Amino acid sequence: MNNFGVIEVASTATKTTPGWAYVPDTGPSLSATALQPKNRKRAARNTQPGLSLSDLTARQENKLRKDLEALNRDNQRDVNIPVPSSSRSSHKHTPTVRKILQSQKTFANHLDDYQALLALAESNPAAVVNNPLLFLNKPVVATPQAKSASPAPVREKGGSKRGQAAAKRAAVKAAAAAAAAAEEEEEEEEEEEEERKRARQLAAEGEDVEMIDSPAAPPDEVEKLVETYPADGTILPAYRKRPPAVHPGDGDPLLVSVVPSFPTDEELRSLMTAPPLSYMDSRAAFGEEGERYPIRVFCEMCGYWGRVKCMKCGVRVCGLDCLEGHREECVTRYGL
Amino acid sequence: MAPGRKPKSAGPAPPSSTLVLDNGADTIKAGFVTVDDDTGDKAPRVIPNCIARDRHNKTYVGAELEKCKDFGEITFRRPVEKGFIVNWEAQKEIWDRAFFDDKAPQRCDPSTTRLVLAEQPNSLPALQTHCDQIVFEEYGFSSYYRGIGPSFNAYQDIQAIFHTPRTPDTIIDVPAEVILLIDSGYSHTTVTPILQGRPLHTAIRRLDVGGKLLTNHLTRLLSVRHFDMRNETYIVNEMKEAACYVSLDFKGDLDKTWKGTRGERRKDYATGGGIAKDYVLPDSHTRFHGIVRDHEPGAAARARKSAVSTEDILTLRNERFSVPELLFNPTDIGLRQPGLADLVMQSLSVLPVGLWPGLLANIVVVGGNAKFVNFIQRLQVELLERVPDECVVRVARPEDPIVSTWLGAANFARHEHADRLAVTKQEYEEHGAAWVARKFALGLGVDTLR
Repeated sequence: MNNFGVIEVASTATKTTPGWAYVPDTGPSLSATALQPKNRKRAARNTQPGLSLSDLTARQENKLRKDLEALNRDNQRDVNIPVPSSSRSSHKHTPTVRKILQSQKTFANHLDDYQALLALAESNPAAVVNNPLLFLNKPVVATPQAKSASPAPVREKGGSKRGQAAAKRAAVKAAAAAAAAAEEEEEEEEEEEEERKRARQLAAEGEDVEMIDSPAAPPDEVEKLVETYPADGTILPAYRKRPPAVHPGDGDPLLVSVVPSFPTDEELRSLMTAPPLSYMDSRAAFGEEGERYPIRVFCEMCGYWGRVKCMKCGVRVCGLDCLEGHREECVTRYGL
Repeated sequence: MAPGRKPKSAGPAPPSSTLVLDNGADTIKAGFVTVDDDTGDKAPRVIPNCIARDRHNKTYVGAELEKCKDFGEITFRRPVEKGFIVNWEAQKEIWDRAFFDDKAPQRCDPSTTRLVLAEQPNSLPALQTHCDQIVFEEYGFSSYYRGIGPSFNAYQDIQAIFHTPRTPDTIIDVPAEVILLIDSGYSHTTVTPILQGRPLHTAIRRLDVGGKLLTNHLTRLLSVRHFDMRNETYIVNEMKEAACYVSLDFKGDLDKTWKGTRGERRKDYATGGGIAKDYVLPDSHTRFHGIVRDHEPGAAARARKSAVSTEDILTLRNERFSVPELLFNPTDIGLRQPGLADLVMQSLSVLPVGLWPGLLANIVVVGGNAKFVNFIQRLQVELLERVPDECVVRVARPEDPIVSTWLGAANFARHEHADRLAVTKQEYEEHGAAWVARKFALGLGVDTLR
């Protein structure tokens, strides 16, 4: 990052502005061109890419954070409502329960504890090897083999492998039939008769794209497939109903659509048995490419687009009327 | 509850009745389900999950809130934070009054009852363990299952929600084969893809925008533009539920509600443009709930001027749609998270593309926010922009999205999966809390489908 050699302390904002800068003279370093950006126009707007949101001043950032915190509160003020004591609680608690009931921890405290535990596990795995609280999110636990004491239903190990293979073969065959059927449905644009069927078709279509213009399996063969199809071997069973009648337009290359291949049972199996993510990991965040669109700004007063910036504090307003309204507040806060 | 029915033998005789609890941050949905289908509750009782105190310092616990008339300056203490039960002191009090006291309206004897509890996905292990310990050590339920709320929805007749045409002899899949469930509740919004009732954990994504944040945002807007409503969370929440909607044309609606530049009188603004509504605030003497009215130009000013003002009128303009807009554009308030449609795409992006068509054609939205007008339509439009052309996108919400998870959980309690997953008190005592937590985390597994 080009900081002109100046280490900023207060703000993380970086901006290539034209002009001059104090540079510590630490030997032969940056050429003069690096200090003089080529495009001198609109330097305030043309910040480095990927910084559109974080490129706020520290003050704005702080305000945003406080605003968001306020939005997540249950009450505007801090209130302390004691639990009304009930007369009948003479019943004795176990020590664990008493501890839980007396705990005044908030969610933020629990989250911090959990993060600390994760950090500890990373730096010193031996220290937390037996901690049940961490055990939950270890991928090892997710494999069914890991639970020896578990009373979970016993699996039929012997038959399942062969059953799966047979099921997959059957599924491929059925999918071929279903693919033809789906093509036709597209062609005729008929009312879909059943969504379950359709969802399956869409899913099953992908098994083999190259077989699309082959004729649909004759009805008796489909029937046979249905009979031999093991219902309990596959995770998502293939389409099992009779496909619609063959249509002459089925082979039309214009109607051929590219369908993704359907995941195998192994893939599905690993997806369905994957352990839960942690609280932090499941929070959606922007990817590396950041936001594709610039953030929208609104008038602080009336909520219309924020087209004008207050020169004193940077707040956006929509026009002169709102700017005047804002000035009153701005002056009391920042002075003239 | 007959006391003599308690199973004495060590054999796993499943308890005859099941208490199904969807312990939400805002409301608890609770009801009993018996093994023989007919005698159980058809719909849950909805209990506010809070301890409230009004301005006269009177305290209301849970369902007692119904007795409260004056909601001005009411404050809440909620045992559930971010969707997870954190404060057991308060939660126990609310549960006690609802289920275990002598005078409780839904009284039950835990030692002969199974508990099915819905929780939010991706909870913290410590909180889960606390919950298990309380259930067994404090209440002593004979059998218990804690599962993630979204996956219970799969045990409903999903295709009925979509109004899929079908023949009468069609077998209803329970659990549904493939659905993408969006749960938009009080604390946050989650996206959960579910195959055969098993959630795909790696693809669960969360957006930290929920009903609470929307209400607080509306409060802030109103406090800047109209009255100081910062202590009137309850009233603002009612207003949000009554008047807010999701805009299908945000830009257009925003233009219609703009007052214009200086001196300009825009026609849409003066007449309301079909968007502006008058909200009559409760005065806590004669009116305890607000009323939405069509905008009548000048009504608010007249009411303010007249000496004996009978009602306080608030004109809602762009507040009506810019508040739910946060679900689709969280960056509008500076929250650095993708909107709901992008959230779905992020969830799908970690799954094989072959699953996309099935998931996209079966999107179910549950939770209180699904009640916003046009929510479903907007999500569908935004998703269609993002997915491949060939994909069918169907988004639907159940008739009552708030109790949907409960209904699913009730069906789950009748399903044989419940017997497979539930843990008995004996097992808990034998193996301990960690074992129970591990068993719940493992879920159904895929080795014996159906």
